[in-house]
Amino acid sequence: MEPRRERKPYVFGVRHLSPAGAYHLRSFLDERKPKCILVEGPSDFTALISDLTGAKVKPPVAVMAYTSQTPILSILYPFAVYSPEYQALLWAREQGCDCRFMDLPSSVFLALQDWKERKKQELLVNGDGMLPEEENSLPKTGLFEKTDRETFWEYVLERCESPEAYRSGAAEFGRNLRLFTEKQREAQNEDSQQSNKGSVSINRMEENMEAAETVLREAYMRRQIAEVLQSGVLPEELVVVTGAYHVDGLLQGEPMTDEELEALPKLQAEKTLMPYSYYRLSSHSGYGAGNRAPAYYELVWESLQREKPDYSAKAYLIQLAAYQRKQGNPVSSAEVIEAVRLAGALAQLQGYHIPALCDLRDAAVTCMGHGQLSEISLAVADTEIGSKIGALPDGVSRTSIQADFYQKLEELRLTQYRSMTTQELSLDLREKLTVKSEKLAFLDLERSFFLHKLCVLGVSFAKIQPNTQEKATWAEKWLLSWTPEAEIQIVEAVLKGDTLEQATSFVLREKVEKERSIEAAAKVVEEAFFCGLPAAVRYATRVLQEIAVDAASVTELAKTATSLSVVVQYGDIRHLDAKPLLPILAQLFLRACLIFPESCVCDDAAAKEIAKAMEEMNAVVLKQEGLSEERWLRVLSEIAKRDDLNTKLSGFAAAILLERGEMDGEELGCEVERRLSRGIPAELGAGWFEGLALKNHYALLARMTLWEKLSDYLDTLDEEEFKRALVFLRRAFADFSVAEKSDIAENLGEIWQINPQQVSEVLLETLSKEQEEELLAGLDDFDFDSI
Amino acid sequence: MAAKTKTKQENVLRLPAEQLFQKELEALIREEKNPIPEGWKMSPRSVLTYIVGGRAGDTAITPKYIGHRRLVEIAISTLVTDRALLLIGEPGTAKSWLSEHLSAAINGDSTKVIQGTAGTTEEQIRYSWNYAMLIANGPSPEAMIKSPIYRAMESGTLARVEEISRCASEVQDALISILSEKRISVPELSVEVPAKKGFSIIATANTRDKGVNEMSAALKRRFNIVVLPAPESLDSEMEIVTSRVAQLSQNLDLNARLPEEAVIEKVCTIFRELRNGTTLDGKQKLKPTSGVLSTAEAISLLANSMALAGSFGDGCISDGDLAAGLQGAIIKDESKDAASWEEYLENIMKKRGAEWLGLYKECKKLLS
Repeated sequence: MEPRRERKPYVFGVRHLSPAGAYHLRSFLDERKPKCILVEGPSDFTALISDLTGAKVKPPVAVMAYTSQTPILSILYPFAVYSPEYQALLWAREQGCDCRFMDLPSSVFLALQDWKERKKQELLVNGDGMLPEEENSLPKTGLFEKTDRETFWEYVLERCESPEAYRSGAAEFGRNLRLFTEKQREAQNEDSQQSNKGSVSINRMEENMEAAETVLREAYMRRQIAEVLQSGVLPEELVVVTGAYHVDGLLQGEPMTDEELEALPKLQAEKTLMPYSYYRLSSHSGYGAGNRAPAYYELVWESLQREKPDYSAKAYLIQLAAYQRKQGNPVSSAEVIEAVRLAGALAQLQGYHIPALCDLRDAAVTCMGHGQLSEISLAVADTEIGSKIGALPDGVSRTSIQADFYQKLEELRLTQYRSMTTQELSLDLREKLTVKSEKLAFLDLERSFFLHKLCVLGVSFAKIQPNTQEKATWAEKWLLSWTPEAEIQIVEAVLKGDTLEQATSFVLREKVEKERSIEAAAKVVEEAFFCGLPAAVRYATRVLQEIAVDAASVTELAKTATSLSVVVQYGDIRHLDAKPLLPILAQLFLRACLIFPESCVCDDAAAKEIAKAMEEMNAVVLKQEGLSEERWLRVLSEIAKRDDLNTKLSGFAAAILLERGEMDGEELGCEVERRLSRGIPAELGAGWFEGLALKNHYALLARMTLWEKLSDYLDTLDEEEFKRALVFLRRAFADFSVAEKSDIAENLGEIWQINPQQVSEVLLETLSKEQEEELLAGLDDFDFDSI
Repeated sequence: MAAKTKTKQENVLRLPAEQLFQKELEALIREEKNPIPEGWKMSPRSVLTYIVGGRAGDTAITPKYIGHRRLVEIAISTLVTDRALLLIGEPGTAKSWLSEHLSAAINGDSTKVIQGTAGTTEEQIRYSWNYAMLIANGPSPEAMIKSPIYRAMESGTLARVEEISRCASEVQDALISILSEKRISVPELSVEVPAKKGFSIIATANTRDKGVNEMSAALKRRFNIVVLPAPESLDSEMEIVTSRVAQLSQNLDLNARLPEEAVIEKVCTIFRELRNGTTLDGKQKLKPTSGVLSTAEAISLLANSMALAGSFGDGCISDGDLAAGLQGAIIKDESKDAASWEEYLENIMKKRGAEWLGLYKECKKLLS
């Protein structure tokens, strides 16, 4: 070794989440016994190290930093038990040596992220940017492919036998990767300069920004190293743990100057520890690599601990077989043995001794899956990714929102429900008069607010069950089951606010802003109401009003009115002052009344929706006091009487009036006669009848006058007209049940003086084949197109 | 025995792989650097090179199986671990082809083969007798007729069982104890013949054809199963077809020029589209036909068209020759397939532009 190099600290290049890296790093530290360890990771995370390495901490855990102001950005540093960084922290704690993170502070990372995001947006808005290219220049992993980078790493570096071999190997790997990316970037930049000047693709820009960030980070890390050395630690007493990629960058170049440090952008940032899961580790590929199979890598870590290099391969296949058996797919030990041998042979074919993950998986597919990955895919996912979830001891850097959650849980006496088994919880939202304190009297109501908030936040702790008694709005039924995943979701909710209430309000507000539709706003009003957030209700209501002023269709109006009326009606039970909502409801109602008749000029497809709206609006008017019922009836009878609207809707309006007792038999008779008189096109008459029949079948069946008029009408038609009318009438009666249809037949039979028995006989008779063909042939001349 | 029955090369319709590629095999053995498993002629890595192509010293090794290198690796590794190998897949996915070349490379002999049929008996799997001698002298080693599997066990080489799923279940079952115990007992002679190191079986089975017997779980457990898929991309399928047609035409003296790339592309395109039920760009769905339309069929279709062109035409495959071949290959179940084919012609081929117009017209002519 040359003397100058000796004065440099030991830089141990690793791969994040690399079991061999973690293992060899530990033995390297054992050997060197440094006084100080610097670990790659935001320097302000140093404060969290003691919590992170606590005895009760069970990895995977993550450190999250996030901006406290919108737009909320976050960065995440996950640690598994086999993360070299994590093992370095643990070692430092065990040996009582100084240990710090040395990368740019999270506030700078977040500011850089913000900057990158904005640059990207600019590029997109200016239209210069080409859309990101889908293809990835790195080889993908998977069955049937040649050795990729990941597998190469696993074969060569995860199987290193000595710390020195790992250290130099990783450094070499990082060096080459660095050269490769630099060359590639240069070539691409040249390319783009030559081909089309001025326009940069998003991908390329991202790469360039990435490179710029690396320069900053490395300068900052060099500064950190220099600081430690200045403080009196000898270079030999310092070990720097960093990604293999940065090894050369940390050893060469100048540290960041004070001015440069000053000039770095910063954003206000919060940070927290959170439990993490292997599932998330495998799907969030933002940080480091080698995390596509966390559970498998843990096996590799174990095999290193046991100093049995072939342990991981056997354990993988045995676990996979065990999972298959548990699922009821028999796997014999012989098959497992064969799979172990096959995996070994596959590795040997590549020139290695210990199989890599792809060998193991292919061997499992061949020996246990009968050649089909699909047969064992669940077992593969379970063995490679697993369902392990980390844990933090109570009280360890709990975020404000977690604290709030646990406090509420206790306050509301829900702690017992925080268990893995699913439990049912029935709530009675009414005031309990038998208990002493007010707090207890409304316990269930508070619980309901709490659980609804969790639902809005997407925390999978509580699921509401459909209520059995439909009208019982004072009762709610919930299914509660706790998963560690829920804990993670709660921690993530901190991005939206410091307490459950704040976060929920934020989410609701965001929903309104994003959608800006009257329906969405009404839905949010409803949700906010269930969560017991009067402020959010008010906010959403205001937005609702703003939008409602502008055009809105009757269907939207009706849906919105329905949502609002629910809130108004049951406001009391949830202690919500619904008064501010009343004017809006009235406003919506008025608007609906004004535009309803004109909205009924539409085709049949739209008529279906509008009929639904009419029905909903009618229900709102019925339920809601303070809306002018008279006015609504006037609107309905206008629709029912006018001839220039969609006849189906006119019929439907008549049906509503009939049901409400606002139209008597005589009026109906007149109307039928008018609608079904000769000369009116058959489709219009029949369409009207169809609308009428949409509503209450029994109300129609019971009115003999109706059928008499129908019979009269049929008599007036000539054969051609009858055929046309038949098509529509058939449709009108399509929704009637068989029993109702035979009632109609009886009604008509009575009018025509036919014996009911005969009628039903004719009705039940099936057509013979000849008859059917004859009739069908007759239809050939019929002009269906004109209908 | 083998030496006596060896016929002169020129008269043979199709030579076994080890003779066809003798030079390549010799080069690989000559250049061998890696350890050779017992009973093998070359190292697993050389076998891989022989199958997927590469170089051995100065000799170029042509690829025999194109695409899916990993599957070949799995197959070879299986045989290294003395496990039996079962290749399954749709018809025409080169199962037998791969099995023949594997045994040619590993043993230099691909001829110990049982061709499975519904009429295959257990004796053909184990051993049978020369009944004249049996009656005259009683059971003796001389009176015994050994099956290819028996001979493979004695010599420590590979035996092949083609179309194993066509054999009756009880015949398939005869393999179970052979595979698990690796010995064959001959009660008539009160001996038990153990398999020498290197013995294994490569079986092939079809997943789609009618008239196959489901394999028992017990038998399946004794095999490592590799599923061979249809070629991944148009390019790899064209590569397969081109190289195989060239080999075939050499053997068959077809007196026609090799098909142009455009022709091969057309055939492969049509086959792939009808096989997958969608156009290559995935934008349009279409009705698939009842036939399998495998790569093997595409190869024989082109050879057939070459024969037509060579014997009755100008030696160059015309659209007419191709159309005849296509119709024969595609329309298997008269009424349904004809409709699908016509739909394909009208909806897809007709709109493909001038290049396809000639073929379209010829196909139309044949249909009407």
